[in-house]
This record gives sequence, C-alpha cells and structure tokens, in this order.
Amino acid sequence: MFEPVLTRNIHRPNSEKIYTYLAHGGYEAVRLALKKSPEELIDMVKRSGLRGRGGAGFPAGKKWEYMPKDPRIPKIVAVNTDEGEPGTFKDRELVERDPHQVIEGVIIASYTVGARRAYVYIRGEFFLGVKRWIKAIADAYEHGFLGKNILGSGFDLEMSVHRGAGAYICGEETAMLESLEGKPGNPRLKPPYPAQVGLFGLPTLVHNIETLACIPHIILRGPEWFASIGTAESKGPKIFSVSGHVNKPGNYELPLGTTLREIIYEHAGGIRGGKKLKAVIPGGASTPVLTAEHLDVPMAFETLAAVGSQLGTGAIIVMDETTCMVEVARRLTKFFAHESCGRCVPCRLGSRRLYEILERIECGQGKPADLNLALELAQGIDGTTFCPMGSALVNPARSTIKQFREEYEYHLTYKRCLAGNTHSG
Amino acid sequence: MTNKMITLTIDGIQVTVPEGTNIVDAAKKAGIDIPVFCYHPKMKPVGMCRMCLVEVGRPVVDRNTGEFVRNEDGSLKIQFNPKLETGCTTLVSEGMVVINTSDKVKRGRKDILEFLLTSHPLDCPICDKGGECPLQNLTMAHGPGTSRFLFDEKKHLLKHYPLGELIYLDQERCIQCGRCIRFQEELVDDPVIGFSQRGRSLQIVTFSEPGFDSIFSGNTTDICPVGALTTADFRFGARPWELNAAASICQQCAVGCNLTLNVRREAAAGGKVVIKRVMPRQNEWVNEIWICDKGRFGYHYTEAPERLTQPLIRKEGELVPVSWEEALGFVAERFRQAGKGLLTLASGRLSNEDLFNLRKLSEGLGGKIALYTQMSGGEQVMQVGLAKESNLAELGQGDAILVIASDLHQEAPIWWLRVKQAAERGATLIVAHPRPTRLEKFAKHVLRYRYGDEAGLLLAMLNSLSAKRPALPERVSTLWRDDQVQAAAKAFAEAQNAVIFFGNEGVGLQASQALAQACLNLLLATNHAGRPNNGLIPVWQRPNDQGAWELGWRPLPNLDEAISQANAIYVVACDPAGDNPTLPLTPDFLVVQDLFLTATAKLAHVVLPALPFTEREGSLVNGERRVQRYYPAVPPRPSARADFTITGQLGKLLGIDLEDRLASKVMLRIAAEVPAFSGITYTALAYAPEQWPIIGREDLYYGGTTYENKQGIGVQLPNALQQGEQVTLTWPSLAQATEINGGLLAVPVTKLYDSGSTLVHSKLLDQRRVAAVLWIHPDEAAAHAVQEGDLVHLQFGEASAMATAILDKTVPQGVILLPRSAGIPLLEPCAAQLKVVERSYER
Amino acid sequence: MLADLMRGLATTFKAIFEKPVTIQYPEIKRPVRTRYKGRHILKRYENGLEKCIGCSLCAAACPADAIFVEAAENTDDERYSPGERYARVYEINLLRCIFCGYCEDACPTEAIVLGDNYELSFTDRRSSIYTKEMLLEPVPEGGKPTPQKTPPGMYTRAIPEMKDPV
Repeated sequence: MFEPVLTRNIHRPNSEKIYTYLAHGGYEAVRLALKKSPEELIDMVKRSGLRGRGGAGFPAGKKWEYMPKDPRIPKIVAVNTDEGEPGTFKDRELVERDPHQVIEGVIIASYTVGARRAYVYIRGEFFLGVKRWIKAIADAYEHGFLGKNILGSGFDLEMSVHRGAGAYICGEETAMLESLEGKPGNPRLKPPYPAQVGLFGLPTLVHNIETLACIPHIILRGPEWFASIGTAESKGPKIFSVSGHVNKPGNYELPLGTTLREIIYEHAGGIRGGKKLKAVIPGGASTPVLTAEHLDVPMAFETLAAVGSQLGTGAIIVMDETTCMVEVARRLTKFFAHESCGRCVPCRLGSRRLYEILERIECGQGKPADLNLALELAQGIDGTTFCPMGSALVNPARSTIKQFREEYEYHLTYKRCLAGNTHSG
Repeated sequence: MTNKMITLTIDGIQVTVPEGTNIVDAAKKAGIDIPVFCYHPKMKPVGMCRMCLVEVGRPVVDRNTGEFVRNEDGSLKIQFNPKLETGCTTLVSEGMVVINTSDKVKRGRKDILEFLLTSHPLDCPICDKGGECPLQNLTMAHGPGTSRFLFDEKKHLLKHYPLGELIYLDQERCIQCGRCIRFQEELVDDPVIGFSQRGRSLQIVTFSEPGFDSIFSGNTTDICPVGALTTADFRFGARPWELNAAASICQQCAVGCNLTLNVRREAAAGGKVVIKRVMPRQNEWVNEIWICDKGRFGYHYTEAPERLTQPLIRKEGELVPVSWEEALGFVAERFRQAGKGLLTLASGRLSNEDLFNLRKLSEGLGGKIALYTQMSGGEQVMQVGLAKESNLAELGQGDAILVIASDLHQEAPIWWLRVKQAAERGATLIVAHPRPTRLEKFAKHVLRYRYGDEAGLLLAMLNSLSAKRPALPERVSTLWRDDQVQAAAKAFAEAQNAVIFFGNEGVGLQASQALAQACLNLLLATNHAGRPNNGLIPVWQRPNDQGAWELGWRPLPNLDEAISQANAIYVVACDPAGDNPTLPLTPDFLVVQDLFLTATAKLAHVVLPALPFTEREGSLVNGERRVQRYYPAVPPRPSARADFTITGQLGKLLGIDLEDRLASKVMLRIAAEVPAFSGITYTALAYAPEQWPIIGREDLYYGGTTYENKQGIGVQLPNALQQGEQVTLTWPSLAQATEINGGLLAVPVTKLYDSGSTLVHSKLLDQRRVAAVLWIHPDEAAAHAVQEGDLVHLQFGEASAMATAILDKTVPQGVILLPRSAGIPLLEPCAAQLKVVERSYER
Repeated sequence: MLADLMRGLATTFKAIFEKPVTIQYPEIKRPVRTRYKGRHILKRYENGLEKCIGCSLCAAACPADAIFVEAAENTDDERYSPGERYARVYEINLLRCIFCGYCEDACPTEAIVLGDNYELSFTDRRSSIYTKEMLLEPVPEGGKPTPQKTPPGMYTRAIPEMKDPV
C-alpha cells in the first residue's frame, strides 16, 4: 500500500494551520535546504527526476538550472494555482488543506534560484483557497519563514497572493505572467522564456503548486527515495483527481505509473451503478480520450504518450456506457471556445466553428460531410496556434471522432443518440 | 544592432540579410511574398494572425564539435521543424532553409483564410477597402474558392461604430490583428484604443475622451488590413480604383511630409475634379510612411468655396471683379511709380519659385523685401543646418538630440515621432522647455528654464563644458552652472552625432535670432556641424520658411516702420492685418495676393487670386533643408494663377525678365544663382531610389496602403560648412526680461488644430480645434482673481482680446499661455493685463 | 426576255396579296425578345428601397466607361437602400453605352437590369446622360418612395442574404 506523501496531512483536523504543519515535520526541509548550496539543491532536484505537474511535464531541475546565475539580476518565483482545467481539482485541495507544504517548496525554490520575491497567482473562483493562501503566508511571516533573514540564513523572501479574474488561459505560464502584471491574460511569444524574461521583465521561475509541494519531500527524504517511486521517466507521487461516473470520486495520491484500472476500480470504487466503462479522459479536458481497452495503461508521461494521449494534470474523467461522446466533445469544445483569448485566428475562430459543427451533429442537423470537416478543422487548428491551447482544444473532438466514430455516424444518420440520450440542448 | 550577415535559403533562393531580421522581411528582400495580416515592418512582430506560417529547417549541429553536420554529398544536414513556424516571429539563422510553397504551408494559409472568412462579412462591394484590401488580395492568392461553413452563422455586429469623430470602426470586418492598437501603443505612444473582451467577442474599443484622441489616428486606416477602420473624411467617398493619384508635399508645417493626393471627378462639386483623400507617400528620410491628422484632413481649404476666383480692384471704395489684364496693368503701373518705395511682404507658405520671382521683381524695381514671420534664425540654419546626407532615422545609440523651445508633438508631429523613435533606439534626448511637453517622457535630460532664458540656457550648457570649450566672452562665462545643465551638456558634447531642434515658443523675432546663434555656437563648439546626421533643425511655422531664407528673404526687425515708409506694399500669402489689427497698414497702394479675402485683402487696392498647392507645382525646403517637389493634383480654378506666374507676368509688364510659365524653369534660374541650390533641377528632385521597407506596391498586405514614392524624395541642401565656408562663433546678446508692469507674460503657443486659414475649412476637425483660451497656473489665477471658465479680457499694448481661462498646473508662474491662430492677436511674447469680464458659474 | 419579265411581274403580283411586313412605328411597336438589351433600369425592392448600393462595380465593369457612380451613406432617417451605402449620383451616358450587359453581370444586388426601351435619341450630348431619377423604376405598389424613414437596425445588410452554397 502506497503511503501518501503530498496528501499525508490533509485528513488531519485543522490541516491548513501552521501549527498542524509544524507538528508533523513542517518547515524542516527549509532548515535543511538553507544550509545547502543552490548547486547542491539543483542537483538533488535533477536527480529526483521531478517533472512539472502542471500539464507539460517539463523537468523541474532543468527549469531551475535555466535561471540566470548572476546574483545582481533580481529574480522572481511565480506560483501557479490557476487550476482551470476541467476535471482537475488537486491544486485546490493542496491549497485549502495544506498550503504550508507549498510555501515550504516556494522558499526552497526561491533560495535555490536566488529569487527574493514570490507571487502566487490563484484562480479567482477559489474563495477558500485565497483565504487559506493569505492566512498561510501571514502565519509563515509570523514564524519567520518568510520576510527578512529567514531562519537566520540571511536569505530574504517576500510573498504575496494575486487573484485571477477567471480565465482558463491564465493557467498558461506566460498568460499568467501577463495577468499578474495587470494586463489581459494573453500568452506571450516564446522565446524569450520566462526564465530569461518573465514577470515585469525579470527572470521568473514558474511552477505548479503540486510540483512545489514535492520539493520539501525531496530535500527531507532524498532524491533517491523520490526517484524510486514511479516509472522510468515519470518519478514520484502524483495526485490523481478522479471524477465522473465512479463510486468514489476524489483526489487519490498514488505513484506515477499506477494503471488506470487500479485507480478507477481499486481506489475510486469502480463505475457507478455497476455499468460498463466507456471512455476515460486521463489528464484533464485537454487530453485525448481513451477507451476501456486502455485500462491497463500505466498513468505516466511516457506510457500515455505512447497510446496517443497525455498525462496532463492527471485528472481522470470517467464516463460510463450511457455517455454520449458527441455531447462530451461538444461540451468540452464549447468550454475551449469560450476560453479562447482571441489573440490568434485559428483558436479564436476555429474553436467557435468546431463547436458549431459538433452542436449541429448533436442536435441531429449534421450533414454527412461534417465529420471530415471537423477533422480537417482540427488539423488546421492543431499546431498552428500561438500557444498550446490550439493543440489542446481539438483533442476532445478529434479523439472522440477517432475512438467513437460510430456514435457520430449514428447521430448523423438517425438524428438521435446511440447512447440513448435525449439531448435537450 | 550588429552588422553580422546571415545567409539562408528561402524557396531555393539564397538570401543574405543582417542578423536579427525575421523570415518575412528576409523573404521580402529576396522578392518572395510571405503573406501576413498582423505583422507590419514598422512594428514588432506578435504572431497573432498565423498567416505567415512556413516550414523552417535548421542545420543540425554536432553537440560535441559545435559544427554543422554534413550529408554524404557535403551539403548541410537540415532538420525540419514538424510544426509550421510563424515567419514574422522567427529570426533568421545561419544555414536556415525556409519553404514557403509546400502543400503543408499552402494548406495552413488556406485554413487561416477560411477561418477569417467565416467571420468576415461579404461586404466587398460597399467596403471602402475593396480594391486595395489585403484580405481580399490574399484570399484571391491563397484562399479557398468556396467556404465549407454556413454563411448565416456569421456574427452580426455594429457596422457603424465611431471610435471618434474622425475614425469609424466596422466591428464585423475587423479581423483582430491588433495593428491599429500596436501602432497607437508602440509607435505614437497614444494608447487610446485596445481590445475588450476575449475569444470571438474580442473587439476594438476606445477609452479616451474624446474618442480615439490621437493626432496620428488616420494612419491606422492605412495599415488596417481590412476595411474595419475608415476615416470620416473618405467614408464611401469613392472606390480606390476610380481614384487618380498625384504626388504632393504637406503644407501644414516645416516637416514636409510626402503625400499622395487621391482625386476624382465629383458630381457634388459640379463635375469638378476634387481631392477625395490624402494619403502618405513613403519617404524614409522625412516621414517614413506616416502623416499626422492635420496633414490628412487639413487640405479642405484648397477647395473652399470662399476662395478668391477673380482679380479685384477697388473702385469707388468697393472691390470689384476685373480682368487679369486690367489688374496686372494697373498694378504694374503703380509699382513702377512706387519704385524704391515698394515693399514686398511674403511668407514661407509660398514655394521657392514664388519667392524667387517675387524677390527678383522687387529687386528689379529697387524695392525692399521682407519675410513675414515671427521666428528668426534661418541664417544660422544655412550655416550649420542639418547636413546633407542626414536621416533622423539613423540617430540612435551614442547620438544626442536637443529640443528647445518647441512642443514638437503639437508643432511638428512627425518630427516628434522621429525624435521619440531615435530616443527609443538609444539616442540621448535632451528636452529644454519652460513647461512639460509630451516629448519629455522619452528624454534622459529635462531642462526647465524661464521664458526668455532660451539662449542663456544653451550658452550655460556651453559654459559648463570642461572639454571642447571655446573661449567665452564674460557675459557667457559668468552664466549659471548647475548639475542638470552640466550633465545634459556633457551628454550632448560627448555624443557621436547631435541634432538640435529649436522652436519659437516664448521667443520673439529677436530672441529667436539669439537662440539660433546659441544653437550654432553649441553645435560648432562640440563639433556637431557640417557632418551628416548633425546640425540644426528649425521648427518653422510654415512649410517653406527655410526656403525663403535660402532665397534671400529676411524678416525686418521693425516691420511697422518699414510699412509706414513704403509707398506701395505687395503682400503675398500672409495676413499681417489679420494677425495684428493695430498694424498701420495704410500705404498709398496695397496689393494682396492670396487664396482668401483676408483682413489685409479687405484693405487692399488690388487683390490677386492665387492657386493653392494642389492646383500647381512647386518646391519647398523643409526644416531639414530638403528641397522637395509637389505636383499639380487637380485642375486650377479658372482665373486664379500660381503666385510665380502672377509675379512673372507683372515682371514682363515692367520689363523685368522673369519666368512665368514653368516652375521647373524658375528652379533652373534658382540653381544658377543660389549656390546651395546648384545642381538642383526638377529631374533631380524627382529621383526616387529603392526604399526599405517595401511599401505600397502590389503587396498591400505588407506595409498598408501608403503610396510608394515614385515621384522623388527630394534633395538635401549642403550647409555652409559642407560648401567649404568658414563659420565663426559670435555671441548673441541675451534678452532682457520683458517688462511686465504687474501683469503677466503672455506667451503664444502652437497647437496642432488651430483656426488658421489653412485649417479652418476642415470642418471635421472642429471638435478638436483649440478655442480662444488662456492657460494659467492656479496660483497665478488666484492672484489675479481668475477662475476656471471665466471670460477674461486681455490687453497687450494696443491690442486686446477675450479668452476663456483654463487653470493648468503645468503652466509656469508669471505666465499665461495663449494659442496661436485661434483669434487672439498675439504674435510674440509680451506683457498682458487681465480683467475678468464674465464669471463662469458652471461649477 | 419576255419570259423573264413575266416572271418578275408574277413575283410582284404575288407580293400584292401577301401580309405586309412593315410595322407602322411608332404607332405600332413590335415586342422585343425576352433577352433584349435596351436602356437600363434601376430596380427597387418591394418596399420601395433601391436595390442599388452604389458600389460602382458596374462602372468598373463597363468597357465603354459610360457609368458614373458616387456613393453616400444611408441613415435610418434618410434611407435609400438597405445597408450603409447608396448611390447619391448614378449616371449612364447612353451615347457611350454599348449595351453589352456587363453592368448587369457585375451588380451584386441585381439592381441594374437592361430593359426593353430602345427609343433613345437625343438632340444634344448632355441629354444622353441619364440620371438616377430617370433610370429608377417607379415605386411598386405598397412601397414607399426613397428616402424612407426606417426603424433602426432593420436594414443593416447591403447585400441580400445568400443561400448556403453547399
């Protein structure tokens, strides 16, 4: 049985309080880390094999290494709590139940890259999360973990919280930086990457909070311990948010590489009402769907990529046999069309058109040519957009057409749903 | 900027371009079109439209050796990016291979166009851009023949959305490329429009009051790749292919922006050919591809119905129409009688040819000539003016620009833009002005002085130099020193190249002479004269003041006296009586030659109708001493004649040999007689070299609808130093403070939109026109019991005026500012007494 | 020779009893063919609004440069045609016109149609220029003359909605 790492504290009463955190070994990693040199710490993170948990899975150690070493250049750490991906609710739990774990990670990361300022960007709808962040930061200041001369090490760090205004795209790191600067949340041109030119033009280290939450544990228990968890290319524990037609939806922390079958049937209690599983979205709304035949695929970056999907944020959306896949695609595409920032043409207009086609098919007004049109449209959007959102937004439609083409054809031919849904609109 | 050159291959063609060039520009240099919507060569790339997607391959580098990996046949091994890359945001690199014609690329473009067209109305028949529309052209070239989407799913939005009263937005047509927004933010620092909403709801909105409050707003309609932005002036005016084009030069200020006048026959004008719109014409040495809104919308005076159409002679107290023979014969006879008593008064609104003929006529009769101006210093400009072969666009890192006594943003907008851009390229900008101006934001050194201390400040700069300091007379070496002045002086002296702009805010005729001399001294002492990209630029108020100086015209220190002594006065293209109602303009014989029946003309014995620049040809010398030529755009109104023709015909009657038919022949005479003009012919002025970026050819998508320059970029005059003459330092006497007598110093300031005779006829600028107001500091206002909005009676000397008070903290104490050409007869700074006539109770 | 003469006279006699082909124009007018190209007519919609939107494409298509159009902007208070643009001036010089019908083809709103009026004669050149008032067809029954006062937001489309081509 895997012993939770990141979520070990969240079931305790008052888990968000600093005294609870301190009572269970909190801020020990900071004490340890502040005695080490930044090079040592980077080396530890690199050896641990930690990869970003925000969706792209970029190696954290490399990100740290890319930050300029010149101590005269001010640097910034930006903490991404803009959890907007449908199906994902792991960050929210971490912030609301154990924010100090993340703060500890932020302190260590800031110390390592030489940042004196850390900004937290949190999704505006997370009211409790905002409150918990503010309280946790205030408590950390009070206990001397933030502010001037942290724990007598001579290292200063200021940290504050910024609320987003509810845009999915602000989860993209450069859009988040724009939003932090007070501008509309539009992605920036890369390069330069945030490690060179980030927030307010300064080198910025941007991390998802789950990634940061892993840091104290790597420091305390060693990179080798961390690397021993997981698969060859995906190391460490991961919080999987399981939602949809399962008996016990929720966050499950398991090693990377756990199979979908194990997560769904052993941990999440199987499919609701004993129905058959039809489809699974393995990594949040932007990742391609998988079917029941992929149940034995381990949930890891490389294995999911091999079957044409992505680990994403590890948000597993389970759908049983009663689900209409056309509706799934239509709803998810509507979400993306609504969230497009409108900056580039394929995303602004393509997403809208894709949604219209799916809606047409679902409502029984589709034309036989629509399926290919949707696929060609997806082809035209994927890879041509400014930011990765273009590739993300076509996934629901494209993967469901690929895996469940017969459902679409049924809709087109019989003007109703194969899964028996009524589609009131 | 490095000079490193990069060689890459685009569609099999080898191209060598400087490092830092992007793929779109590199391709353009090789004559290959990569279509774009959002990218513009004058702005930073953003990669929004995704139209410029190309396949990019880069040579594989061996990680161990750092060298390129080669194939068996010795060619470089190229690795292609599986995704298409945007050509505008990707910089070229050595050995890069770009494919612009593959099926993948073509498909990408087709998709983008199809996406755009799913949301773009099929408005082409009624769209003002139809016929010169990048979207239309690129759809024809790269787009799908049919759409696979439903027409009725198009979004219906506002089609008549005024961003301001000058620019209208059609929300349906907008493709959200953001060019207009970026132009306003990046280039002209007027971020008054922006995107609101997101996704498909993204729309352009203005957030200024009044809407789209920018003096450069018209340029956004040129660079808009669709018909989303249109000017109120041209909206539905004509289809682009119906327009004829004539090259011209803007006459609104001393910059001399190159224009193209689009003309068409108009039924509403009774079948006459009229100007439909004014477009910029590319001249990278002068205005690049931009013009200000004054130049774009200010042309209406040339077509005003109030224009004089016939010669008039005063008979029995009334001005009555007569024939040209009668008028000219009468004038010639009276001029002959006046002989030495003839005074010819002309302004820099005239062309070189006019001024030359006028001078020759006057000289032939033994009369005097006088330049009608409120600003002096042309001689100094002839000595150390901006040197031949200069281009403000070349100023940057290591160079310095000093702007003194001029609010360039209002007086010469395009110079403001060019100076700002130079500062952004790294040039050290020093702004010296008694009050804050728009340019200061970009300045490294801001020097404040009191009105009247202009020349003193420059000499103080000279005085605070430790090196390069010439021998100074005592009155200069005892001038004040302070750290700010010293720092600015040091930066100026150490600059590689340096340019001074001087205006006449707060200086009268004499003080501006001193100011120009101080500029000259500073330039000479710091060795910033006689070399390209160095020298003095006067911010004249009229388009050809510099030309007048070059051709021997000088202002008279005491105009009143000269006027009262003259027997006959020949007033051309100026209105002294209108500017100064107390002027004793009562000679025996007064001839006025102008476009309108001005206040002076109403006093005249003979009025001769002249032609505006749109109906004739001529040449001007701008502040950068560039001689530029303009061409006739519309047929002349019958029985009005060009100024040089009228003068030439008078000359014929008086037996003075003058050219009266061809302006080009007058120029030949000028070239033969005036050394600086030697070699200048109309052919030389029409020389049009290749310019970068390539604008206005078939590829409208690239640079917008600005016209290509095929009619000449003009020729810069060499200054005295370049002609090998000696220029020596002379030390101006510093002005004494004006006697105030308990009043305040009234200072005329130039505002862009005034009510001058060359702008008042543009009705669409009415809302932005400056009224008869006075700006006063709140403390000073309190001291004089003036409140905001009060109607104040102003008395300066014998003249008086009424103005509405506006309280403004940026106005220096002891001073009131009054707009020029707004109905207040104030030409030079002088003491004014204030009296509140009507209290404002609005508050 | 006599035989020849007789044959000629016989032909003449036969013709005497034939129906005459001469039509007493202008008292009698022969109907024209359906595709006859006579003088242009500017069409109206049923409500009386003009179909012409002043786009000038007819003038661009005209090989004889016979058409002159000058556009202006509609307002809801003074509306001539649907959409924003209308023809303030529309003139055809019928001395120049070669009746090729290109203007008809170019028109995006089917506003200009070559009618069946061929009675075009002028005593001076100026009267050969037909103005918009002369070319416009009469207001149809139930319609109103232009300019009309129309409710805002009703006539926003210059070009009639097209059918989906697929």
